[in-house]
Amino acid sequence: MTLDYNQQHLIKMANQIAGNMPTRENVPAQIVQHMAQFWTPPMRADLKKIAENKAESLSDEVLAALALQD
Amino acid sequence: MNKPIEIAIEDIDLGTPAALSDSTVTVHIDGQAVEVPAGTSVMRAASLAGTQIPKLCATDSLDAFGSCRLCLVEIEGRKGTPASCTTPCQEGMSVKTQTPRLDKLRKGVMELYISDHPLDCLTCSANGDCELQDMAGVVGLRSVRYEEGSNHLEAGKDNSNPYFSFDASKCIVCSRCVRACSEVQGTFALTIAARGFESKVSPSEENAFLDSECVSCGACVQACPTATLQEKQVIDLGVPTRKVKTTCAYCGVGCSFVAELRGDELVRMVPDKQGGANAGHSCVKGRFAWGYATHSDRITRPLVRETTDSEWREVDWPEAIAFAADRFKAIQQQHGVDALGGITSSRCTNEEVYVVQKMVRAALRTNNVDTCARVCHSPTGYGLKQTFGTSAGTQDFASVQQADVIMVIGANPTDAHPVFGSRMKRRLREGAKLIVIDPRSIDLVQSPHIKATEHLQLQPGTNVAVVNALAHVIATEGWIDEAFVQERCDVASFNAWRRFITLAENSPENLAEISGVPAEMIRSAAATYAKAGNGAIYYGLGVTEHSQGSTMVMAMANLAMATGNIGRNGVGVNPLRGQNNVQGACDMGSFPHEFSGYRHVSDETVREQFTALWGVDLREEPGMRIPNMLDAAVSGQFRGMYIQGEDIAQSDPNSQHVADALSAMDCVVVQDLFLNETSKFAHVFLPGTSFLEKDGTFTNAERRINRVRPVVPPASGLAEWEVTCALSKAMGYSMDYANASEIMDEIAALTPTFAGVSFDLLDELGSIQWPCNEQAPEGTPIMHAQRFVRGEGQFITTPYVPTDERSTRKFPLLLTTGRILSQYNVGAQTRRTNNTVWHAEDILEIHEADAELRGVSDGDWIEVASRAGSTRMRAHISDDIPAGVVYTTFHHPVSGTNVITTDNSDWATNCPEYKVTAVEIRPSSAIAVGV
Repeated sequence: MTLDYNQQHLIKMANQIAGNMPTRENVPAQIVQHMAQFWTPPMRADLKKIAENKAESLSDEVLAALALQD
Repeated sequence: MNKPIEIAIEDIDLGTPAALSDSTVTVHIDGQAVEVPAGTSVMRAASLAGTQIPKLCATDSLDAFGSCRLCLVEIEGRKGTPASCTTPCQEGMSVKTQTPRLDKLRKGVMELYISDHPLDCLTCSANGDCELQDMAGVVGLRSVRYEEGSNHLEAGKDNSNPYFSFDASKCIVCSRCVRACSEVQGTFALTIAARGFESKVSPSEENAFLDSECVSCGACVQACPTATLQEKQVIDLGVPTRKVKTTCAYCGVGCSFVAELRGDELVRMVPDKQGGANAGHSCVKGRFAWGYATHSDRITRPLVRETTDSEWREVDWPEAIAFAADRFKAIQQQHGVDALGGITSSRCTNEEVYVVQKMVRAALRTNNVDTCARVCHSPTGYGLKQTFGTSAGTQDFASVQQADVIMVIGANPTDAHPVFGSRMKRRLREGAKLIVIDPRSIDLVQSPHIKATEHLQLQPGTNVAVVNALAHVIATEGWIDEAFVQERCDVASFNAWRRFITLAENSPENLAEISGVPAEMIRSAAATYAKAGNGAIYYGLGVTEHSQGSTMVMAMANLAMATGNIGRNGVGVNPLRGQNNVQGACDMGSFPHEFSGYRHVSDETVREQFTALWGVDLREEPGMRIPNMLDAAVSGQFRGMYIQGEDIAQSDPNSQHVADALSAMDCVVVQDLFLNETSKFAHVFLPGTSFLEKDGTFTNAERRINRVRPVVPPASGLAEWEVTCALSKAMGYSMDYANASEIMDEIAALTPTFAGVSFDLLDELGSIQWPCNEQAPEGTPIMHAQRFVRGEGQFITTPYVPTDERSTRKFPLLLTTGRILSQYNVGAQTRRTNNTVWHAEDILEIHEADAELRGVSDGDWIEVASRAGSTRMRAHISDDIPAGVVYTTFHHPVSGTNVITTDNSDWATNCPEYKVTAVEIRPSSAIAVGV
C-alpha cells in the first residue's frame, strides 16, 4: 500500500496523539474519545484502512484504539 | 448601510489622574462642596465640581508636574498660591480658583509663554485645537509687553517621522511629551535637554525622531498642548470636524479609538481615554497605520475567472455570487457536501464570522469550517477548556496593575501587543518582578527602568520541560497553595498531578540539559512566582505554536492552580491573542467541532437549539480542520473553499503544500481587501471591507466585546455579512438580517456567554467582557472568581514529549519566528503604509558565533533551508538570541518565511509548529529574490 500525503499525515497525527495523551492510563480509550471529538468520520475510516493495510506505521496504542472502535 | 452612529464622546480633561483611595475627603471649591477620593488633586476636584482651572503642563493621563504655574489657586489658611495640580485635597479645605490676585499671576505667566511663541494662530495647523490658544483666551491676555529679546521662534522642524511633525518653535517645554513617553508608553525616548532658556525637547540625545528610540506610539502627540507635535494629516487636511468611536483592527489588545474626520475623509485616529482595553493609549499601528484602507491596491469590485491561469474579470455582485454558488453546487453534486468548506477570519467582526460559519453549516451542509485561530491559539482553546472549563483568558488587562510577579512566556508584548506591553511596563517600574521564558532576549528582559528578575532562555521546543521543572520545585518545596487546591480544584486530579510532577524526571536538574536552562535559575524563578504574592502568567504564540502547544497551556494552568493564582485581580493565565478578533472568531463557532460558545456539535440539546432557530438539520460529527481540508484537497476529496480574510498561502506553514492543495480545488472563493498570495489560486474574489467600513463587534484578548462602528461607507458597496448572506441564499439557504445588530441578537439568543449582549448595551456600557448574562448583566472582568467554569479546576499531567523537529548535522540551527512592532502578520495592511520605513523586509537574526562559522556578515544575503524548502533574506547579527537559534519575521511575501516552516503541529489541535524549524543557512546572492 502506497501512502499519499493525506494518509501519511493521518498516521503522524494519530501516533502523535497517542504519544502525547497526558494521562498514560488507558491511552487507547482516550484516543478514541479524542478522535470522536475532533476527527471526521472519513478520517477515522481512512485511519482504519491504514491499520488494516499498514499496521506497522501505527503505534500499538493507536491500533488498540482502533480495535476499541469496532 | 446604516447611517454611521456618532455617539456622544466625552472629552473633558480633569487635569490629573484619578486617585485610587477608598476613603474620601470633602473640599470646597469656590464655595461648592465636592467629595473626592483621598489623594485627589485640587485641580481634579475643581474639574469634577465643574470648574476648569487654567492649565498647560497638566493633563489627566499624566502625573502632576507643576511646572507651568498657570493652575495656581488660593487655599484658606495657607500662604502663597500653590499649584492646584500638585496639591492634594484635604478634608475641609477651602479653595478659591478665581481671584484678582490669581488672574494677575496667570496673565503674567501667559504673557511670558506667548512672548516666545509664534503669533500665527490663524494659519497655525492647531488653530481651534490648541490649549495655549485656549488659555490665552481664558486668562484674558490682550497684549504682550516682552517683544524684544531672545526667543525660539526660528527653531527648526523635525519632519523625519512619517506620521507626525515636531515644530520646536511652538514648544512651550511643558514636558507633557516627555512624561507621556516615560509614564504612558514607557520608552523614555524623549528628554528635556540642556537647562534654562536652552531647554528643549530632545529625542534620544538630540537625534531626529526617526533615528531615535521613539516607537511612534503617538502618546507625545496626544499629550502636546500646542502644534509642536502634530499629526501630518492634520497639518495637511485641517482640524477634524466629526468623530466616530470605534475599535482598532490590529492586535488582540483591541484598543478603542475615536476616528476623527472631515466629511468622509479620515484625518486621524485618536486613542479613546474611555477605552476599556487601552485607556487612552495606542501604538504605531492603530494610531497611524490605517492608510491601507484607501490604498490604490484595494479591490472594490467582485472578480471571477474560469481558471486560475486566466485573467480576472470584473463583474457585479449578482454575477459573482451566482458564479461562486454554481461552482459550489456543482462540487456538491459531483463530490458530496463534505467536499466544501470555509475558513473564518479573526480580522472580521463577530457578526461577519458568525454568518460565515452559519453559511457553512446550514447552506453548505457541512461542519468543515475552521478559523485562522487554528494556526495561533487553538491550543489555548483546548488547554484552558480542559483545565478551567472555557477557552478564554482569565483576567482583564487592568489586572496586571495588581500583579506582584509577571511571568511572560513565549510572548513579546512590547512588539506584538504594545499597548498592553506599556501597561505591563508601568507595573514593572512600580516594582513587580518579571520572569521571561523565551529563547530570545525580548525588549522586556532589559529596557529603561526594567530588568527581568529571571530570563529563562530555553531551547525552542522545551516549554513543557521548563514549566514542569518550575512546578516540580513548587511541589517539592512545599509552596503549593493547599487551601486553594482543596477548596477549588478536583483533588483526585491534583493528587495524580502531584505524583507526576514530583517525579525526579521533572526536576530542574534532570531537565537542564534538555531545556538549556540551568537548574538554579529554574529554582529561583519558581520561588519568585510562588512566593511573591499575586503571580500572573501572560503568554503568546511561543507557547501555542509547538507540537506540545496544548500540553503547555495545560501545564501553565496547573501551575496557576497549584499556587492559587486564579480568580482574583493580579493573577491568572492570559493568552495574548495575536489578532483583533481571535477570541471572537473562536467564540462564534468557527471550529469544526463546536457551535458558538464552545459547545460540541454532538451535543443533541445544543444542536436542537440551533436547528430550531436556523430551521435546518445540522450535522452531529465534527468537520475538517484547515490542515485536514488541505490534505484532503491534495488527495482529491476536497474541492472548494470559502476563505474569509486569511492569506493562507502566505501565513500557513509549508507553503508548497498549501499551494498544492489550493491548486487542486475546483473553486476557491477569497473575500479580502487585496489580491494576495491565496487569491493567486482563487476563482472568485469578493471585495471585503476594512475595519473603518465595518459595523459590528470585535472581542479582544480579555474577552472584551467592543463596538466597531462604520466610519465611512463600504468601498465595495456591501457589508461583508451581506455578501455572505447573498452567497448562502444562492446556495439555497436564506439568512435575512436587516443589520449587524440583528446578527448579534441571534448570537445572544444561541450563546449562553453572550446572552445579555446587544448593540444597545454596548453603546450604554462602552464594552462588555463575556460572560454577560443574568448572573453578570454587565459582564465579567475576572473569571473563575468563585468557582471554575467547569466546576472544579482540573489538573492534568503534562509529560514532556520532544518535538520530531530537531537540529541535525544537515540542519543544525533552530529557526523561530515572530512579529515586529511596526509590521503585522503577513503585512497585507502594514506593508501598504509608511510603517515600511521601520521594517522594509524580513531579516534573519543570527548569533555572532553561528554567523562567523558560516562566513556571514551583518547585512549579507543568505539562503535559509529546511527540510520543507528554502528562501533567501538578509542576515542581522544579534546577541538577542543564543547560539544555535535563528529568528525571523513573516511579514513580507517576498521572503516567504513559511516556505521553510514544516507541517509539524500540535498533537491536540494541529496548530502548526512555527516556533521550531531545523534549518541551515549559507551565504547567498540577492538576485533570486528580485532585489
